Amino acid sequence: MGIYRKQIEIVGDILYAAEELTIDHNGASITNLIQKANISHSRISKILTNLVSQGLLEQVDSKRACKYRISMTGKDFLKEYRTFSEFTDNFGLTI
Amino acid sequence: MEFLLENILNLIGFIVGIIIGVFAYVGYKNTGSPVLFRLTIAFIAIGIGFGIIWGGYVIDDVFLQEGKINRGLQALGLGIQTIGYFFIAFSHTIKSFFPKSRYFRSVGILPLFLLSAMNIEHIIRSFSFILLVYGAIETFVSFLEGKQKGTLAVGTGLGLLAFGEFIAWYSLVFPESILYSISILLKISGLISLFLPISRLPLRKIKFDGLDDADGK
Repeated sequence: MGIYRKQIEIVGDILYAAEELTIDHNGASITNLIQKANISHSRISKILTNLVSQGLLEQVDSKRACKYRISMTGKDFLKEYRTFSEFTDNFGLTI
Repeated sequence: MEFLLENILNLIGFIVGIIIGVFAYVGYKNTGSPVLFRLTIAFIAIGIGFGIIWGGYVIDDVFLQEGKINRGLQALGLGIQTIGYFFIAFSHTIKSFFPKSRYFRSVGILPLFLLSAMNIEHIIRSFSFILLVYGAIETFVSFLEGKQKGTLAVGTGLGLLAFGEFIAWYSLVFPESILYSISILLKISGLISLFLPISRLPLRKIKFDGLDDADGK
């Protein structure tokens, strides 16, 4: 049986993917994020728009395609998300 | 001796409950997670419950000096603690039985007791025992799936609290025996075990205004 991710987990996965992909590259493309976060294109577009408007992701200007980079606020959020994810894991629950 | 142990137990319970509750609340404010909201209610209730009983002992020690806590106050404290245990068990119930239902995630059912103080205390203790056993079993099941040390510590903590509650209940059959002191020591060990994994996590507060809109809540 498949396990459904909660919205907050999807956001966490996207930010984690963006953080990993930002280390080596100057931002991650939507295709990279889709593959890394395992999410459909139709769903990720809306979430990315929201994350950019909240300042968790930054849109990077690129000649070929739209790219995204994790912001400092995004890194802080990801750190908090991991901490509280571990906290709920300790109780045998998912965040 | 029992009086002193009760004071220590309830003070530790109050401190541990409030610290974990505040930690869960910070998490809820930062992530908007309903699981963290339920854990906030659970541990704040547990902390307040222990705090009320501790306050009852302090009042007796300082003012009344009868050598026993007011029954009504004890029943109130135990009742509030039970609500906390209920919310821990409730979170596991949602995870196990209603993994996709938004309705059941948001609804809470509060138990109502309308009996005499003495009866209430016994009923509450048995309810607490059942809820703690359920919470401990579910946490141990999660440990078997994830093999995380923190989960094992929390499961052991809930198990020790349940065993302590059982011994306390059983000590009614053998009053004035060492059983009640053992139950208090078991509960103190349970609270420490519950706090251990949480103490390793960093506590700081960052605000993310309007994040709820971003994650669709």
